[in-house]
Amino acid sequence: MYRSQQLAVKYLAAAIALFGIMTVAGLMSAYYYINPDFLFGILHFNIAKILHIDTMVIWLLMGFMGAIYWFLPEEFGRELVGIRLAEILFYVFFGAVAVVAVVFIVVQYGNSNETALWFINQGRKYVEAPRWAAIGVVVVMAVFAYNVIGTAYVTRRVTGITAVLMIDLVPLLVLYLDAFPAISNMSADLFWWWWLVHLWVEATWEVLIGCIMAWTLMQLLGTSRRIVELWLYIEVALVLGTGILGLGHHYFWIGAPSYWLTIGGLFSALEPLPLLGMVVHAVYDAGTHHMKTTNRPAFYWLLAEAFGNFLGGGVWGFMITLPQVNLYAHGTQWTVSHGHFAFWGAYACGVLSVIYLVVQKLRGLDYLEGTLWKWSFAALNVGLIGMVGALLVSGFAQAFVERAIGGSTHDAFIAGQTNPWFVEGMITRFIFGLLFAAGYVALVWDLLTIGRRAPVLAAAGAAE
Amino acid sequence: MHVDDPAFWRAGAISTVAIMSAVLIMLTIDSLAAISPGGSNVPRYTVINQHIDYKFDENRGNDVPVIGGPEPLFGKAVDAAAAEALIDKGKMVIQSRACIDCHTFFGNGAYYAPDLTKAWLDPAWETWQAITGATTREDAMVKFLMNPEKYRIWTRAMPNLGLTQQEAEATVAYLKWMASVDTNGFPPNFGHMQSKQ
Amino acid sequence: MSEISLLQSALLLGLYVALAGSYGLLYTIARLQDAIILHRLSLVLYGLHGLTAIAIVAWTPLQIGWKGLIVVSSAAFLAIPPLTWRLLERTHETEVQG
Repeated sequence: MYRSQQLAVKYLAAAIALFGIMTVAGLMSAYYYINPDFLFGILHFNIAKILHIDTMVIWLLMGFMGAIYWFLPEEFGRELVGIRLAEILFYVFFGAVAVVAVVFIVVQYGNSNETALWFINQGRKYVEAPRWAAIGVVVVMAVFAYNVIGTAYVTRRVTGITAVLMIDLVPLLVLYLDAFPAISNMSADLFWWWWLVHLWVEATWEVLIGCIMAWTLMQLLGTSRRIVELWLYIEVALVLGTGILGLGHHYFWIGAPSYWLTIGGLFSALEPLPLLGMVVHAVYDAGTHHMKTTNRPAFYWLLAEAFGNFLGGGVWGFMITLPQVNLYAHGTQWTVSHGHFAFWGAYACGVLSVIYLVVQKLRGLDYLEGTLWKWSFAALNVGLIGMVGALLVSGFAQAFVERAIGGSTHDAFIAGQTNPWFVEGMITRFIFGLLFAAGYVALVWDLLTIGRRAPVLAAAGAAE
Repeated sequence: MHVDDPAFWRAGAISTVAIMSAVLIMLTIDSLAAISPGGSNVPRYTVINQHIDYKFDENRGNDVPVIGGPEPLFGKAVDAAAAEALIDKGKMVIQSRACIDCHTFFGNGAYYAPDLTKAWLDPAWETWQAITGATTREDAMVKFLMNPEKYRIWTRAMPNLGLTQQEAEATVAYLKWMASVDTNGFPPNFGHMQSKQ
Repeated sequence: MSEISLLQSALLLGLYVALAGSYGLLYTIARLQDAIILHRLSLVLYGLHGLTAIAIVAWTPLQIGWKGLIVVSSAAFLAIPPLTWRLLERTHETEVQG
């Protein structure tokens, strides 16, 4: 196994660990809605939420990095350049995340000065980590880019997939620089912040996961490089073709010019179209292989990715993307419903698929199958869909009562939050969150144990 | 080139991304002018010396901020430098206390606490004026921000974030300025309850 | 818009895309299994999608441009599954020959 692949396993393990922290913080965040005195005066909603959303970003990033560190040495036919540096930085990265989290929990807030932003909490959503840690992230990502680009340079071997990846890493890194400024003007702050957030999750991350899925398909289904590359280019064209100006759907209400209502609404309304193509493609792949594969869990998580992406991003997104609807849905639990579904479908399922593929290789198995993964798959997906459905109901109630009827005042907010449909939605969301958490526990157990009884499974696989 | 040739689609990907990125950059340059203080959509920070309202505009079909006559904050008009200092400080408070992880600003943030886009105009401050014994809206806001847990009006309370008087005043100034930004009508119908249909 | 028409519009818009997806899913399965019945069912689903589009045009307070977008997108949704299928077959065929 290449050192890069050993590093990949560390990143993927760290990703799974952070997924757990994310889940715990998520349960906490959900619980405050049910019991608002929970930890009052000790740890408040905003800290739990910060832990929840920041670990979400980091676990997915670590998942991407792990996947890429895994596939790349085989792609290049050699160990990655700068691997020693990357190995050291893994521990630095993980250590930094731990320190940042502890400071969030223990220190929580600073005074309104630069010291607080540098060492405690920057207080900008998803990028709350203090500046010292943001510098760390830049270094880690720069070395990551160096590992990729440096190796391509040395081997002079650039496949279509690696070319797309390398080009994508540039905006990925540059956009992250918005994690540093503290612009006083909220309109300008949010304008640039959305460059980072949208052009990460609805552009550069889409390309990253596309590259990762290309490699996964080659290994899982034996698809040829030519085919995956062709479709990768199509995906890049369509997803970025709609997503780059789809950024405008975040510019409706932040003080930006009103032409964004038309431009943003139009392009983001087109975003579901490529996702339909992806569904067709995924079903085609599944069907032409008669649902047979050497790694069932990886394959099912891949299918979950295609469907989750379409439903969570496409259907749920389309409901709220037109400005006439968004005016009321904006900043409500409806957004939360869409966010959970889209992140799960577009990224989480894909990373889990790769993790199962890596597990298969690690255990040296020609065939990976089991029973527990099915329970985990069911619990996580049903849990997620249950949360999404509950949040949708709460979101409808909130948009209806607080925005459309109440005019979004403080009293209208309270009316929305205390509306019976809203309250029931919050309770239901928490219950499904528990199911999701159970699915996570099953996932971890399964990842630790699947395929270890190799001879039995191999025989079962051969018999099928 | 044929559609089954990856090079065809590669060319398509490159050209699509290039064109879309160029358009985005052009629109960004235009937007930055509009959203800078003093631009078409975002007033200068000295707007905190004036009366701010939010009314429906028939031509535009949505609510728009209306900037009125003098109404100095805390009874004291401030010059451009002082206004900017207040806004800078207010934003630092908002970031250092991670307000955006409970509240929303222009609808962005977290949904546990109310949206603050038009908080300056919220009728609820009358209630807080009464319970804090403040004589003006801004004084009520300052008192509330410094001890929110003392003035809770429903089950979900805002925690005490250790704001000083200076920080609370800066935050209030920030909220007043924010209420003057033209957000294309978000939030809709603020302060005027929609009639039931 | 009113609170009722808000919910109606949003639900119609979501249903619109969901039905397009269902049509695409069933179309692909029908092609894989060469099953006429499934193919017809996929067209029924597309028909329902079309009805949703008509409902959006007729009953939501969206402006004419957006309604036009809905209609044009419907045409695109119709074409995407067969076009994707044809390209998939063609690229995999080239593969086998190549």
